[in-house]
Amino acid sequence: MIAVTSKSRRSRRIESAIFWVLRLATYFILACATYIFLDIGIKGGRTVFTTTPPFINVPFLTEPPQTLYVFDYEGKTLTLSDRQFREWKTTHADVEVNPSSVAYSAGGIWPCIVGTALLVIGSMALALLIGISSAIYLSEYSRNGRMIRLVRIAILNLAGVPSIVFGLFGFGLFVIFFGWNVSLIAGWFTLGLMVLPAIITASEESLRAVPQGLREGSLALGASKWQTIRKNVLPYAMPGILTSSILGIARVAGETAPIMFTAAYAMKDEMPWQVARWTDFFFQGVMALPYHIYVVSSKIPQNEYTERVQYGGAFVFLFLVMLIALTSIVLRERSRSRLSW
Amino acid sequence: MEGVADLQTLIPPRTTSRRVQAAIEQGIKAFFGGNALVAIIVLALITIFLFREGFGFFGQNLTNLRLYRQAGLEYVDIIRDVSTQHEALSRKLSDIRLQEARAMEKRSVPVEEINATLAPFDQFASAFGDTAENLRTLVSDLTDQASALKESLYARAELAAQRAQLERSGALAAAEKIAVPAVDRATALATLHQGAATFESVSAEMTATLYTLLAQAPPLPDAAEQKTFDQWKTRTREYLAGLPKASENLRTWSAETPIPWYRSISSFLFGRDWVTASFWQDWYGIVPLLVGSILVSIVALFFAVPLGVASAIYVSEIASVHEKRFIKPYIEFISAIPSVVLGFFGIAVVGQFIRAASQSPWFKWISFFPISERLNIFTAGCLLALMAVPTIFTLAEDALRNVPRGFKEASYALGANRLQTIARVLVPASLSGIVSAILLGLGRVIGETMVVLLCAGNRIAIPDFSQGLGAIFQPVHTMTGIIAQEMGEVVRGSTHYRALFMVGLVLFTITLGINYLAQKLVARYRMSIG
Repeated sequence: MIAVTSKSRRSRRIESAIFWVLRLATYFILACATYIFLDIGIKGGRTVFTTTPPFINVPFLTEPPQTLYVFDYEGKTLTLSDRQFREWKTTHADVEVNPSSVAYSAGGIWPCIVGTALLVIGSMALALLIGISSAIYLSEYSRNGRMIRLVRIAILNLAGVPSIVFGLFGFGLFVIFFGWNVSLIAGWFTLGLMVLPAIITASEESLRAVPQGLREGSLALGASKWQTIRKNVLPYAMPGILTSSILGIARVAGETAPIMFTAAYAMKDEMPWQVARWTDFFFQGVMALPYHIYVVSSKIPQNEYTERVQYGGAFVFLFLVMLIALTSIVLRERSRSRLSW
Repeated sequence: MEGVADLQTLIPPRTTSRRVQAAIEQGIKAFFGGNALVAIIVLALITIFLFREGFGFFGQNLTNLRLYRQAGLEYVDIIRDVSTQHEALSRKLSDIRLQEARAMEKRSVPVEEINATLAPFDQFASAFGDTAENLRTLVSDLTDQASALKESLYARAELAAQRAQLERSGALAAAEKIAVPAVDRATALATLHQGAATFESVSAEMTATLYTLLAQAPPLPDAAEQKTFDQWKTRTREYLAGLPKASENLRTWSAETPIPWYRSISSFLFGRDWVTASFWQDWYGIVPLLVGSILVSIVALFFAVPLGVASAIYVSEIASVHEKRFIKPYIEFISAIPSVVLGFFGIAVVGQFIRAASQSPWFKWISFFPISERLNIFTAGCLLALMAVPTIFTLAEDALRNVPRGFKEASYALGANRLQTIARVLVPASLSGIVSAILLGLGRVIGETMVVLLCAGNRIAIPDFSQGLGAIFQPVHTMTGIIAQEMGEVVRGSTHYRALFMVGLVLFTITLGINYLAQKLVARYRMSIG
């Protein structure tokens, strides 16, 4: 008897020790992620927020990136943006200074935000139109033949193909073969095609999750196929489709590799709407937030002045993407609890 | 009699005729079908386009390799190899000098005394370096000759191609105007071939000098260094013994030996050099990139698998409901961190941290610490682990949750405790699901671009495995990274452009294979439990 209890006590101790290891592993992951959020949140927050009203660094969000000039004048170190420096020069015309310049480190990130928004809107419009239609066709109209099964497997597998491969393809086909050059429209197609497999797969899954009885009941009442789909299938599949679309947005907004050589410019002076003809709008490269972060964190020499724009950009970008992802998670949790059969 | 209701009133009056309705239905179906067709065609197009652009590489690379032989570059590289080996030996000597000086410093010998003790050794080293003087001159002379020949051959090929293009398009008059110059390859190669005789005399002279030099090698005060030095001497003797072989190779070498077609494929798949835009010869060997990708993935999975699986087990079996509700979305949330932000974080924080940690006295006992590069395989691997964890966690947790309740209950009923149930019942039952989760995590890691581009150090070289585990603290370049870095600068249709497409194709095949395997595993696992 005694032997048994001591043995069981020992095994219980082992059990709780192992459970603690598992618990620590889990919390270690959470701690790592939290550290990243805090580091970028705190250091980036210094750029994005201010201590005086309106508490948000408006110029950072509304100005284009500029070159920063650093120089000593009358015993003080001045750091001026390109525009400020030129103004300063007009008032101090006789002063000879020898400024060191730091690219991109002054001004803000407004054109990057606009560019990213344009890329997301265009590519998602494309991907959602084609993706949801294809999903409806595959799940509602197509007969379940061998061909369709093959297509489904192919699409599922394409969802796992690395984004850089899509970038390579977009570069070869749109930028070079079609001669669109580095342009918004090439970026739309590249990004749209990149998320297409994921959207088709997820939408089809949520369409198939709608019980067959709902369709049969509607058809039995004399409704046509389209009426059935519109009134009895789509409304119930919508939360799932929406969730996958929003996740798609997060992915499209967050990817850098596919737009590096299809749509993004490191620096562009005009805003996207400042074009000579309206068709030029589609065939212009844009600045994009992820590419801007890549450029400022690896293409320019690092020093104490670059941190401001690096962390500021990363902060804005991270929390934009996070917000989108959070929306989708919340939406999914809510729709999960509402619909159940 | 009138009790029968008028059936007509129950059915709403038709506003559109049946035929119009059917047409609309057909139209809607056609719309969806058309979209599906577009999606399928475009996705098929991607694959076809990748293959089309990629496979063109082999033909061009074969021309590239043939030119290498025909212009005699290969010939010069035989001699260059001998010279490079000599340089490596010379470098090793200065390495030994450094180690010895450090060892003496540790015994707090004053600097003047160190220099005095090592003076004979320094003399020896510089004498050794001088022996290759003639060899180096020979190499640089031959290099000039061969690259001149290559240039003219290349220019001729270009002009000939232009002319053929014009002739094909019918502009014969314009084609006539392009004069394709004759290149006297035979004479140029004959001059080049005289290098063999020079090499023989140079190497004979070098051998004689080096043997006398080796016999007078000065001793070193430390036993350990003396041992390395002795090893070095053996290696030098082997090097000298190998010289006649190089002579032999030079004599038998011929520019006319044909290069078989498969060399183009094997030099890509097994080539150990990726050299582009070089004045001498471009090499497109995928091995350094593949090794880089694999090493980074191994490091990432080394961290991600235990963490991901452990947290999946914890959340699905041990955590309380409140913990679960908080931990699950949080980990899934991690997967939404954009990779470029993670890469930036790696540059700004993780790389610095790892280098600083490697300099701390705590890790003195590790032979390869402190590390010199802050961006290396390990840095990239750590960050990629964080990207793989959400994938592994979500799918493994799914697999664990899908184990039928009965399994668990039966195990408890037999008197097993929770740990035994988890380890002996739940994990084995969901093993294929967990393995497929790990595979998909691997797929995500190997295809990730921005983190490796920013944090892996971008040095195209196979890491030096002689340091053992220290190899993972060296910078590498990866398949995804090379595409991202070089794609923007290549000329369309060039060999380099197509080589990058081939790398993309290899990546495509690898990820497709991993995905397919993972799906197969999941399908099997569903059957075995169902």
